[in-house]
Amino acid sequence: MEAEQKFVTIRKGLLEFLILKIISADKVYVADMMKRLAETDFATQEGTLYPLLSKMRREELVDYEWQESDSGPPRKYYKLAAKGRAQLAEFKNYWEYLNNTIDKLGR
Amino acid sequence: MNTVIIVNLNGNAFHIEEPGYVALRAYLDGAGAQLKDNPDKSEIMSDLEQAIADKCAHYLQPHKNVLTVAEIDSVIKDMGPVQSDGGATSPAADVPPRPNTADGETAAPRRLYQIREGAMLSGVCTGFAAYLNVDVSVIRIAFVVLALLTGGLWIIAYLAMMLVIPFAHTDEEHAAAAGTPFNAQEVIDRAKRHYSQFKNDREWRQHWRQQRREWRRKWHEGAYWWAHNLQRNVQQFSVHPSYFAQVFAGLMVPLFALLSIVMAGLFIAALVTLTTTGAIFGVKLAASMPLWVAVLLLFVVYGLIASPLHHARRAIYMQRGGYQPWLAAWDGFFSVGLMAVVGWFAYTHVPQVHDFIQHFPENVLTMWKNVVESFHHA
Repeated sequence: MEAEQKFVTIRKGLLEFLILKIISADKVYVADMMKRLAETDFATQEGTLYPLLSKMRREELVDYEWQESDSGPPRKYYKLAAKGRAQLAEFKNYWEYLNNTIDKLGR
Repeated sequence: MNTVIIVNLNGNAFHIEEPGYVALRAYLDGAGAQLKDNPDKSEIMSDLEQAIADKCAHYLQPHKNVLTVAEIDSVIKDMGPVQSDGGATSPAADVPPRPNTADGETAAPRRLYQIREGAMLSGVCTGFAAYLNVDVSVIRIAFVVLALLTGGLWIIAYLAMMLVIPFAHTDEEHAAAAGTPFNAQEVIDRAKRHYSQFKNDREWRQHWRQQRREWRRKWHEGAYWWAHNLQRNVQQFSVHPSYFAQVFAGLMVPLFALLSIVMAGLFIAALVTLTTTGAIFGVKLAASMPLWVAVLLLFVVYGLIASPLHHARRAIYMQRGGYQPWLAAWDGFFSVGLMAVVGWFAYTHVPQVHDFIQHFPENVLTMWKNVVESFHHA
């Protein structure tokens, strides 16, 4: 397996936490989220994002509210739910822990 | 000039060129199939439709109000394949879009259709060939072998399939028949291929006629071989017309008749329970197996069991002196009598059989509807 392919698997698992992180800063709608992600290695598409967001909402990690927009129909603005905030904090801790572990192993 | 179709995307009307419409329809159908077990399916679908509508709006200007195939195609590419849980649990799929590797197509659902093009009778074989992705001749030979093995029962099954399996009419259905990914480019490619095929129409017709002749010849050969072999077997089978052999034959006849009737009864009961409840005698079908496949399998299994039995019965009539009419008549009387007794007993003593016969037309109709529906939800 090429290195790039292995990274794909890693990124896939991280996408959910990145979305939590983006939402934690401010209420966002999907097009915003995609714009933020497009600049990174985590660029993603609606076909992936909408089902993922609906799953996260079912798990009560995020919530949304409708908001009128100046151009076009009302949009869904996503915000963090209590459970999502907790999971994001957990994730940050775990990420630091992982970084430390990787640093400590080998040189 | 192109036909334009007006669609409603989450409450927004758009004019789309027909091939573009077909591609978009296929994309949304594919998304719907991916999300079919998702509790939020309708919400996600309208989110997706809204996103498509937003993207489509970018291509419109005051003096350009129709979306072309190419534009729809790039909208679909932009949307990316739909995965039920956002792909979080399937590491095989790819998150970031990669412009150089393959298109982001959702796998098209494969369905069984009858395909008129290149068909000899109705298109059942061509449909199976597309579905199983094998050459149509293989399917035809397999069908003939099955017809011979099941003693003609397969022909009845074939006739039923002719009536039940839907025809592939649209390009979309043709794509689903072969399970090929379906997008605008594919439609264009196929149109090109069809055009060149059309040019060779005469050649093709000739080829077809030739194939038909060949096919008829093979059939005759096969039928002859079968008849010949059967006769030889029967001759070997026949016993000396001693008193003992005659009594033995006389006793075997009711045994075989009883076995046949029991088999037929079990078969009918299995067919009824399968088509009404989706289970054979309480054993549930695997979720991945469509009902019609199970029904076909049931026919094949029954044919494989019943046909040797049938031939054995026939073989008993043939003593050394040749055909023994009294044995055949005895068999006939006994079978009819036994069937009547068994039928009456079942009707009066088994409540399920009683109920079934009381509402016979509706029951047959439901069975039929269930099988037909299973073709559409492949």
